[in-house]
Amino acid sequence: MNSKKNDLKSLELTVGDVFSKNARLKARNVNVFYGENKAIDNVTIDIGNKEVISFIGPSGCGKSTFLRCFNRMNDTIDSCVIQGEITIDEENIYDKKIDVVPLRARIGMVFQKPNPFPKSIYDNVAYGPRIHGLSENKEHLDNIVEESLKRAGLWQEVSDRLSSPGTGLSGGQQQRLCIARAIAVSPEVILMDEPCSALDPIATAKIEELIHELGNEYSIVIVTHSMQQAARVSKRTAYFHLGKLIEVGKTKEIFTRPKHNQTEAYISGKIG
Amino acid sequence: MLCMLLKNTENNMNKKIINPEDATNIVKNSIVKRRSKDSRLKLFGRAAIGLAVCFLLILFYSIFTKGYPGFFQYYVTLDINFDRERIDPKGDLSDNSLFDGDASAIVNESLFSIIEPKGRKEKKLAKKIVSSGKDVRIAKMVKDDPGLFGTVTQVKFALDDDIDSFLRGYIKRETPESERRINDKVIGFIDKLNEEGRISYEFSDYILSGSASGNPEMAGIKGAFIGSLLTLSVCLLIAFPLGVATAVYLEEIAKKNRITEIIEVNINNLAAVPSVVFGIMGLAIFISIFGMPRSIPLVGGMVLALMTLPTIIISSRAAIRAVPPSVRDAAYGIGASKLQVIFHHVIPLAMPGMLTGTIIGMAQALGETAPLLMIGMVAFIVDIPNSVVDPGTVLPVQIFMWADFAERMFIQKTSAAIIVLLGFLIAMNALAVYLRKKLERRW
Repeated sequence: MNSKKNDLKSLELTVGDVFSKNARLKARNVNVFYGENKAIDNVTIDIGNKEVISFIGPSGCGKSTFLRCFNRMNDTIDSCVIQGEITIDEENIYDKKIDVVPLRARIGMVFQKPNPFPKSIYDNVAYGPRIHGLSENKEHLDNIVEESLKRAGLWQEVSDRLSSPGTGLSGGQQQRLCIARAIAVSPEVILMDEPCSALDPIATAKIEELIHELGNEYSIVIVTHSMQQAARVSKRTAYFHLGKLIEVGKTKEIFTRPKHNQTEAYISGKIG
Repeated sequence: MLCMLLKNTENNMNKKIINPEDATNIVKNSIVKRRSKDSRLKLFGRAAIGLAVCFLLILFYSIFTKGYPGFFQYYVTLDINFDRERIDPKGDLSDNSLFDGDASAIVNESLFSIIEPKGRKEKKLAKKIVSSGKDVRIAKMVKDDPGLFGTVTQVKFALDDDIDSFLRGYIKRETPESERRINDKVIGFIDKLNEEGRISYEFSDYILSGSASGNPEMAGIKGAFIGSLLTLSVCLLIAFPLGVATAVYLEEIAKKNRITEIIEVNINNLAAVPSVVFGIMGLAIFISIFGMPRSIPLVGGMVLALMTLPTIIISSRAAIRAVPPSVRDAAYGIGASKLQVIFHHVIPLAMPGMLTGTIIGMAQALGETAPLLMIGMVAFIVDIPNSVVDPGTVLPVQIFMWADFAERMFIQKTSAAIIVLLGFLIAMNALAVYLRKKLERRW
């Protein structure tokens, strides 16, 4: 570890290729503090266009915190301070001029626990387009809802009961509803914070398949506890440890030939 | 000694791990004791509830048995000759003309024709049998239906409160005449009326439609009821939006710092301030500084709003805090602005809890007397208030005033007013339950 430190001074410990050719999101030297606590330590990474990248690492390594920096969800936490620069299409999202409302419309988010609104299935999906004024009329809105539900793979299951409560669906269906809700506002990037951790294996498989398909149209950042999941759905993988980005690389390489010994330890189950 | 102690601890150390068989036995033996403790707790709980229900039943029983007769009173039926010349001398049915008329004399003549009093003294006594509101009653009848003129119609008049009390048996015939409020002559008249079948016991048309009066047989609660309604409306219109807005601001928008902490502590303290203090404040600020008139429901409602605000704020904050953060995350995550999150998600989900707090506050305000005494709503006001700036009084103050009067008949009227107040409260609570159920249906 010590020997590698000197070689990688410019990248502060991170091993592998953090840069991407057609980067959509760029994080440069990002530090995040919760009060006195440093949760993220000098992380630099690119997220490419229409790329599925997974963040892995042991619990409390800051991967979720880092994910939430991309759509400024950490703003709601008073004690949270973010340093460094995160840009989307070369625009700093922490710039004073940037309004979080359009930003979050561009960067959607799916949470760990399925959290549909206590409204009907239709209203859940239609909520985003409604508040952002994306639909011209009722018919257009209907189309958006249908298309989003189709893309989320939920249409067949719920097309006949759009007016029943979204909270009445099963866990996996709820999570797909949340994905449909995120898709409905036509985002460019979708952030997923352990989207399958509360689901059973079958529902998980469906969501993974969905992520795979959605990867053709959106940039997707997925935080996951499951290495198998990361291996199945993502092309690139980033390994975090104690707030530091340890290694980034092609998923295949990370799982077969990790360059950093900490990554190797985690992959082989020695830590985490 | 030391050795023994050491040995003891050693024994204890060994005892720490008990073999499974012993453990099973120990648990089995302790089960009986635990069960009996459980059932004792259950018993205490049931006894407490039983006691509470018992007291409640006694309370309701006593109020209803005492208050029920308050809705009824004794009437005398008299044949009235509706002579237009005498009742309405100017012939235009105006208040002035009716006031100049001589309706009382017509009633008295009809009464005299039945009980035949002799001499001035007896006539004077006889006049008092019928309530002094007789001319008002006739004036009202002809105003409603001028076709009555020229006819002879049977009309029911309320009896004077002393006669009423006598008929109810509160004033006893056996009591010596000098200690009785009505003398033997009057009793003779009443007996005569009774023989003629002129006296009846009926549902009072004064209790629900009359207002404050010095004559208990004519006193009613309509004025106070409407006063209560107006006061509560003002209170609700001020306290609910202010309370909810404060709660939303403190919970959703304000940063947690020293200032919000101080505000929070003060709101909690305000909830415990005696209500009369709010009354004094209302007197000092609204009436003395702003120069608003006394006794009006507007000021009453403002004072009560100040009093109920802490209750509403505290319960609304609790309701807002109970909204799951995941819903807020979901809304923020999709790009809703703060305002949209609050109005689309937080307030609808917190509404049942907010309403519960509001209704509790309103119920408190409905039963409040002390602060309203301070701002003069205890004044004797006969007119029924038409708006929030007309002087008026409220039900609990009316009850308070009636309870203070000496006449026997006010006791029943007081109980009747209490029943109406309780009915009002129950109706409000029912509304709250209904609203909560309806809003909670939104999953």
